[in-house]
Amino acid sequence: MEGMLPIVSQILVKGQLLVLLYFLGVNSWYLVLLFSSLLEMRRHMLLIADESRHLLLSSTLSPTISILAPAFNEEATIEGSLRALLALRYPRLEVIVISDGSKDETLQVLVERFDLVPVKTIYEKRIKTKPVRNLYRSSTYPSLVVVDKENGGKADALNVGLSFARGELVCAMDADTLIEGDGLQRMVRPFLYATDVVATGGTIRVVNGSEVKFGRIVRTRVTTNALAGIQVVEYLRAFLFGRLGWNRLGGNIIISGAFGLFRRESVLSAGGYLRDTVGEDMELVLRLKRLSYEQGSPGKIAFVPDPVAWTEVPESMRVLGRQRDRWHRGLADVLWRHRRMLLNPRYGVTGLFVFPYYVLVELLAPVIEAAGLVTLAVGLILGIIDWRFAALFCLTAYGLGTALTAFTLILEDISFHRYDTFRDRALLFWWALLENLGYRQMTVYWRLRGLWKFLLGRKDWGTMERKGFQKPVGIVETN
Amino acid sequence: MVDRNLLDIVMMVEIALLVLAVGVFFAHGLWLFVTQKRFLRDMTAARDSLARLLTRGTINVEEIETLRRIPRDAQVAAFLEASRNLTGAGKERLRFVAREVSVLERARKLCESRLWTRRLRGARVLARMDVADPIVEKLLADPNPAVRAQAAEWAATHPSPSVISIMLTMLADPATQARFAVQDALLRMGATIADPLASFLETHSGSPAESGLRVAESLAETRFLAAALRHSASEDVGVRSAAANLLGAIGGAAAAARLTELLKDSDSLVRAAAAHGLGRMQHWPAASQLAECLRDSTWRVRRDAGLALRAIGAPGALFLRRALKGNDPFAADMSQQVLDLPAAAAG
Repeated sequence: MEGMLPIVSQILVKGQLLVLLYFLGVNSWYLVLLFSSLLEMRRHMLLIADESRHLLLSSTLSPTISILAPAFNEEATIEGSLRALLALRYPRLEVIVISDGSKDETLQVLVERFDLVPVKTIYEKRIKTKPVRNLYRSSTYPSLVVVDKENGGKADALNVGLSFARGELVCAMDADTLIEGDGLQRMVRPFLYATDVVATGGTIRVVNGSEVKFGRIVRTRVTTNALAGIQVVEYLRAFLFGRLGWNRLGGNIIISGAFGLFRRESVLSAGGYLRDTVGEDMELVLRLKRLSYEQGSPGKIAFVPDPVAWTEVPESMRVLGRQRDRWHRGLADVLWRHRRMLLNPRYGVTGLFVFPYYVLVELLAPVIEAAGLVTLAVGLILGIIDWRFAALFCLTAYGLGTALTAFTLILEDISFHRYDTFRDRALLFWWALLENLGYRQMTVYWRLRGLWKFLLGRKDWGTMERKGFQKPVGIVETN
Repeated sequence: MVDRNLLDIVMMVEIALLVLAVGVFFAHGLWLFVTQKRFLRDMTAARDSLARLLTRGTINVEEIETLRRIPRDAQVAAFLEASRNLTGAGKERLRFVAREVSVLERARKLCESRLWTRRLRGARVLARMDVADPIVEKLLADPNPAVRAQAAEWAATHPSPSVISIMLTMLADPATQARFAVQDALLRMGATIADPLASFLETHSGSPAESGLRVAESLAETRFLAAALRHSASEDVGVRSAAANLLGAIGGAAAAARLTELLKDSDSLVRAAAAHGLGRMQHWPAASQLAECLRDSTWRVRRDAGLALRAIGAPGALFLRRALKGNDPFAADMSQQVLDLPAAAAG
């Protein structure tokens, strides 16, 4: 037993050093991303300064956009969300709500409040989906189409929407997401600027704490709820420096399922959304990217920072845990499905650089972080690792991360500065500091759980409880 | 195991980074607060001053001086804001005032800058103020596509022969952003571009011709017929389909005859465009050929043929009903769907 101790000690020390190097590498890469996003943001802000988007608003050449809004048991929020969608300022807009076999009064609410009448139409069923029961059009809102179908999950609902859509572009979103009035005008730009763009995504921000009236954010505020507040910071970091940074490096492979714009024909040709995955949005984007490489041109996935959609984030550990677990399962599933892209020169920068990054940094991070924390604790207990090393580990793993997050807040402030009061700034900074003290470790646990469930082959969605934007209504969404 | 000095260094660096971040974050917030407050105050003053200058009978020199003293950013913002709501004499007066307070002069200087971002800003001001200035025309040949696009937007309201000529050559612009702005500007110019566009279509082919055909479709003038017929035989699918769409928009016997031939084109996009065009013209003599297209292997062609038959009226409906009883299940299915459509949706 005594002979074992030096070996254990060696393993622990070397393991710790490896984890330390890993964190150093990851944080250094984040620094590169931060610089990249700074440059990209500067260029973008210069391009949009004093831009008048009347060209788009009045042009007959603007592409038609079909918004696909799947809804399942959304009777409490559907009216408000839909009215906000219909009020979006875009000249050629079609809104398709797909009631995915709702068991509550979602359809009745829609029929009554929007004067829906059953209609027939010609549509091409290029993707196999659950049967469509009825199709409705509104007699007061000509751009509104409602599809009532049997329950088949979000991906199935989106596929039905794709079949009925008439737009050249489709905007996939969650029915409870609030898109800002000019969000689509802003998000469509990359499609006008280049022919090889297959998808664009906008920024998702956290609505918790802000004031919402008639489907519009009337006052942006940072929430005082710790869990939601930390997610505000997390979302800012993910979008403003994560995705924006990758834009310049040519490697975005994620478009948020809550707010993304796609070329309809590209999605249909690729076979639509996959039904048997919980990461259907990322899967579609990666498939589009892969197919475009296989067809000879690396189709662009562009992230545009200024179109904003607001979403409600979980305020309970239980729901948040389930969400993160699902996201990580989705990530693992998608990367596994497209594993042949890994280090494959055929897929250019995506295969050689972005894909390995997602495997090493996004997928395996919780495993490495958990291993690091466990060995650190064991090492400290056994007296193999001294406190100085432990301190260095924490400073490298968490301290640098906090500093980077603080710089993301600066990036937000110099670009869009949506949070303009001293209170909001102080809160943002406070949540950024708190993120590494417990919250991050919890996400490691949830993501590990997700990875484990992926290995077990679990594909359930779990439940998402929402308060609703305007009044605290408990809605349970299960697909 | 770890040198104390190393730990101290790392800690100091991180503390410095955090302090720097916090300092910048809050200092920027404070700066924003002060500048925004000042900007709002300046903007209000600029708006008031501008409103007085625009609404009173004579231009008051003192008022011009007041406006001149207001910081430039607020000045420009106030002019751009006012320009959105003014046309005709009101806008002319706005331009006069802008000239007096040197807003236009500064924009002109920006247009000559070596930095594309400044040229873009200058072009935006001159375009929004609707200023007929040759310097913006020069920007149509700018190396940066965003600047070219902005100049094209300006050109929509300044359709001189030289501008039209440049704009037509820009239909071949390699940058999609500029091409979109050019097509849109040409459409806004309206009938003035019909003759030059017809000549352009006579002499160009490929992607510039395709862009030109799409513009011509919106104008739908018979002057484009010869070009449309010529391009309908192009080897490029995009050009053929754009030509078919234009033929459908122009109408007439020659267009109908060519569209009927195009129903047998090798590409489904062209066949669909031809069917759509014949339906748009309600060309009943082509009903039997359209009925043939109900058996096409491509869904889109079948749909457009079905809708065209329905648009034709009684003869088309006869063919649709006949297809219902035919031996082709795809044709029968499409006919059924088209016949089931409510009247409003058939178009």
